[in-house]
Amino acid sequence: MAERTLTLSIGPQHPGAGHFRLIVVLDGDIVVDVKPDPGYVHRGAEKMAEYRTYIQNIPHLERPVIIDSSGILFPYVLASEELLDLPPPPRAQYIRIIMAELNRIISHLYWLGIYGVFVGHTTMFLWPVGDRELFIDLAQMIAGARVTFAFFVPGGVRNDIPDDFPDKAIKVCNYYEKRLKEYEKIFFYNPLVLKRTQGVGILKREDAIELGATGPNLRGSGVKSDVRKDEPYSSYDDIDFEIPVYKDGDCWSRCMVRLGELYQSMNIIKQAIKKMPSGPVKNAKRGVLKGIEGEAFARTESARGTMAYYIISDGKPYPYRLKLSVPSFRCLSLMKHLLVNQHVADIPAIYWGLDYWPVEADK
Amino acid sequence: MMGVLVGKLSEVIEKVVDEPLSYVINWGRLYSLWPVHLETACCSAEFGACHGPRFDAERFGVLEAFGSLRQCDLLIVFGTVTRKMMPRLKLIYDQMPEPKYVIAMGACAIDGGLYFDSYNVLPGIDKIIPVDVYIPGCPPRPEAVVQAIMMLQEKIRRNKAIAIGSWIRKKFLKKG
Repeated sequence: MAERTLTLSIGPQHPGAGHFRLIVVLDGDIVVDVKPDPGYVHRGAEKMAEYRTYIQNIPHLERPVIIDSSGILFPYVLASEELLDLPPPPRAQYIRIIMAELNRIISHLYWLGIYGVFVGHTTMFLWPVGDRELFIDLAQMIAGARVTFAFFVPGGVRNDIPDDFPDKAIKVCNYYEKRLKEYEKIFFYNPLVLKRTQGVGILKREDAIELGATGPNLRGSGVKSDVRKDEPYSSYDDIDFEIPVYKDGDCWSRCMVRLGELYQSMNIIKQAIKKMPSGPVKNAKRGVLKGIEGEAFARTESARGTMAYYIISDGKPYPYRLKLSVPSFRCLSLMKHLLVNQHVADIPAIYWGLDYWPVEADK
Repeated sequence: MMGVLVGKLSEVIEKVVDEPLSYVINWGRLYSLWPVHLETACCSAEFGACHGPRFDAERFGVLEAFGSLRQCDLLIVFGTVTRKMMPRLKLIYDQMPEPKYVIAMGACAIDGGLYFDSYNVLPGIDKIIPVDVYIPGCPPRPEAVVQAIMMLQEKIRRNKAIAIGSWIRKKFLKKG
């Protein structure tokens, strides 16, 4: 058996991997064993958080998921607000929802662009990456940066939204909802894409729960679980939206879940703009922020799944310990489960179908 | 007398051979920059946006990073280089054929940036490999990436690819 197999290293310098290595053992073109090798971008975010104040922690904590920077910061502000005793005003909660959903769209469109390249559909690289700029423009109107916003702060958000933002946001959402119909026609129901993704990398419902999948990967396997619905945070309970769930558990279902989320995110943005109350956007408390002694836990639904923070404070201006639980790290156990007994050619479709972002997993 | 003759000869060679040949060679190198696909950290997301329809870096003569590293002549270091990535970065740089150029993208690649005091981050890649163009920013905007590519092309354009004239001067004239 030993002489029949071939060990192949995919990454870190490989068009299909990027800051990540996948050691694949092959028999012919069937994958026999997979060893994921993460850690190429481990930058010690948790350790760094211990010698930075609660405010100074904001910029470096959003770098791990640069395309979903609000998503990773959301639970951090929720947990640190609990420790710093800084409840956010109601308007700030709605602005946070808008920003988080804009970021979810930006992240999913980036994923869709790269997935298009991975399954051999180059048009699907250019369309989402081009349309993503519209949403980046919207986020830029609010926060001033293209991808790293540092917009959420403990006690609210940094600034109010500009006056012309609501009109422009609704215009862009209306345009993009029409545009997504074309996406469906050219990509999601394209025979080539269906051949590459349907029935490939099937993750059964029980396995998904057992292996700890979160987010779209879990919902692609038929489990209706979303933190926004299960434990509503930050006024998500005021907003009426659906959770897309698909039962098959293959790559195509995971794609369709993300497509459904694009529709739902735009729906949420429109509703949040309508329901937004007026008032201040930031807690008026000033001065050196010291955490009360104790611990706080918060979890939210980021673009890739459940993002959770656990912060312990000992009464100093900086956290005693910060634990960050990221959804991408859970993909590593899924990868081993899904890639074995598949063809080599299916590796890119399965690997990127999980929306694994190595920088996030390495922290 | 000999010195004057050699000097004149080298000038003629410079004008007739070196300059036209250098121009042609540089022209060939300028608009066919192929980056290696080595994503070291998060700046790669903005490099992806740089090849989207809005910024379209390809019209300036740099391709998307999907080539084999043996055919590439440009290494863009996308941000943070950790201790695990460091030996691989050096290995990849050494495997690339000459001429090769390096762009350090983002504050992390310049001096560690936001992660200057992290235990696992290399403070600046110029300690391992030579860098041609630095792009500041965290992450740099796609416009800045395009500008860096144009600056690199300007650098290649000024390069003397063939220098027989100055070689003659160095060889036969003691005073230079």
